[in-house]
Amino acid sequence: MSEYKVSRRYATSLLESAIEKNMLDSIALDIELVASTLEANRQLILALSNPIIRPNVKLKVLEAIFKSRVNADTMNFIRFLVEKNREELLNNISRIFLELRDEHLGIVNVEVTSAAEFNIDQIEELKNKLEKFLNKKVRLSFKFNNEIIGGFIAKVDDTVFDASLIHQLELLKTQFLIGGASLN
Amino acid sequence: MAEVRPDEISAILRKQLSGFESEVDIYDVGTVLQVGDGIARVYGLSKVMAGELVEFPNNVFGMVLNLEEDSVGCVLFGESALVKEGDTVKRTKRVASMPVGEKMLGRVINPLGLPIDGKGPINTSQYLPIERKALGVIQRQPVKEPIQTGIIAIDAMIPIGRGQRELIIGDRQTGKTAVAIDTIINQKYTHNEEAKKLGVQPVYCIYVAIGQKSSTIAQVVAKLHEFGAMDYTTVISASASEPAPLQFIAPYSGATLGEFFRDSGKHALIIYDDLSKQAAAYRELSLLLRRPPGREAYPGDVFYLHSRLLERASKLSEDLGGGSLTALPIIETQQGDVSAYIPTNVISITDGQIYLESNLFNGGVRPAINVGISVSRVGGNAQIKAMKKVAGSLRTDLAQYRELEAFSKFGSDLDKITQRTLSRGARLVELLKQGQYTPVPVEKQVVSIFLGTNGLLDEIPLSKIKHFEKEIFDYIEVNYGGVYEAIRKEKLLSDETISSIKKAAQELIASFKVRT
Repeated sequence: MSEYKVSRRYATSLLESAIEKNMLDSIALDIELVASTLEANRQLILALSNPIIRPNVKLKVLEAIFKSRVNADTMNFIRFLVEKNREELLNNISRIFLELRDEHLGIVNVEVTSAAEFNIDQIEELKNKLEKFLNKKVRLSFKFNNEIIGGFIAKVDDTVFDASLIHQLELLKTQFLIGGASLN
Repeated sequence: MAEVRPDEISAILRKQLSGFESEVDIYDVGTVLQVGDGIARVYGLSKVMAGELVEFPNNVFGMVLNLEEDSVGCVLFGESALVKEGDTVKRTKRVASMPVGEKMLGRVINPLGLPIDGKGPINTSQYLPIERKALGVIQRQPVKEPIQTGIIAIDAMIPIGRGQRELIIGDRQTGKTAVAIDTIINQKYTHNEEAKKLGVQPVYCIYVAIGQKSSTIAQVVAKLHEFGAMDYTTVISASASEPAPLQFIAPYSGATLGEFFRDSGKHALIIYDDLSKQAAAYRELSLLLRRPPGREAYPGDVFYLHSRLLERASKLSEDLGGGSLTALPIIETQQGDVSAYIPTNVISITDGQIYLESNLFNGGVRPAINVGISVSRVGGNAQIKAMKKVAGSLRTDLAQYRELEAFSKFGSDLDKITQRTLSRGARLVELLKQGQYTPVPVEKQVVSIFLGTNGLLDEIPLSKIKHFEKEIFDYIEVNYGGVYEAIRKEKLLSDETISSIKKAAQELIASFKVRT
């Protein structure tokens, strides 16, 4: 089985048990902590995926780091992963868990690329419009790119809402090219 | 030089700009993870359809073939060097399709429907998907009209009907393409006024060249032009230099164009030259897409590859206009091995096969058709009555000849009957020989076979058979013109016609003997 499949399965079960126990928010916070810790410490990831280090050592390390900071349920889950020799997937599982949580709560991540910085009113307006259009809660993140000249590009999952000037100019160019052929 | 006024230019620009609306453009994207060997793996594109056309940067298009959990496998129709890791891929939201229309006739196009003959764009308004499902049982009817190939051996003994699938199979250099090209050239008669009066409907031809040398394709096109066959023919070219994905889809685009004719109540003939190369192209793609290899390293669905293609050939029911699409796939064998994977597959899918053999070809029997093992499973119903009548005895005469052929060395030691069978057989074989690009109309074929099977040629020396055949065609044309017309119109051999042919033959034989 591919890593993706396995990670998804573990993440789904954690999510389901969290919903069942009505602890989604606190467990999500724990997992966010785990994800950010792993992301920041490459050494920890390497240690977890190293087959030479024994599982009980890995478990001790993880307990030392997280035990005082997370719920008992989350710690149980981590212990379970180590027991099943899936500790190297912890990073993947946390990421997928957060994605699944967003899906469950109807939140979408929107990446907005613009040429100039938005002010607070504009952000609020964009957020409202997108939420109305997508019928979901929106979490915005911003990126700046001078190459798009003006306007903005909003990316929701794989769908792109392109209102950038550069794209408009490209469309204009293709239209000219098609029009040019018909003029002959 | 005429002057261009600035206001003229701005007027044109304004006109062009007038239709432009600026709106938010919504599209779906993915990111290239890996690219190489004409294959790209793409992350994202989550809602993409299988078989959908996707757009890469630099105007490279691709087709989605693999939908996996975390990535999408695409084949590229252009240079893979123009696509880099991290590039954005856009969905087009349409499955791979091609333009179709009557304007395609007389043109050379690539498998995506773009002209490559330098004669400018083709103005068509209709698009059809390249992969279409074949028709069901209700929409079809049995094959009943003939497609005349103009090759005596085929039209007499391996008749092909409109809507049939007849495989042309043989080693390299046995004249497979020649049979196909002759068939296209012979369709010219279906487009003239007389055919219209006789109720013969025109046949439009499509020649799909897969994995061939560009020079060979150019030669074929030139020949078709020379014989005026290009007016009703489209050539789809995916030469050996094109990427494998284009070679893979070429037959399907040909079938799509053929189906356009069929569905508008017309008749079409499509030649796939050749499907072994298409299978090899598909094998290349599949291996690169990491699909597991099977026998001869072909993927598991290589049978479906050809069956779904050939199943699209059909004869429509009268309710749907009665159009037809006849397919002549070509398969190249290696050293006459028809038990290889692809040949056996295609033999089992088609409604019969024409075997071409290299030893016959080298022995001077051209077209090198082995009539003993070539069959047509449905075409018999499509033969005209006159041909059916004369061809029946031709088959048995030739079979007897082949049985006794080994004895022919003994010469005069044989009894009279055996000798007669041998000399008759040799004359029939001689009659079935035919030059390239010289299709014979069906009425002449009937006359020629009639003479052979009825022993009227027994007195002519073997070396002069072809010469005599030519003379009698002219002789009948001049003196008994009614014979050809009668066969063409009535489609059967009346007693009156028979006696005319016999009389003509006796008259000519007398003078022929004196002259030679």
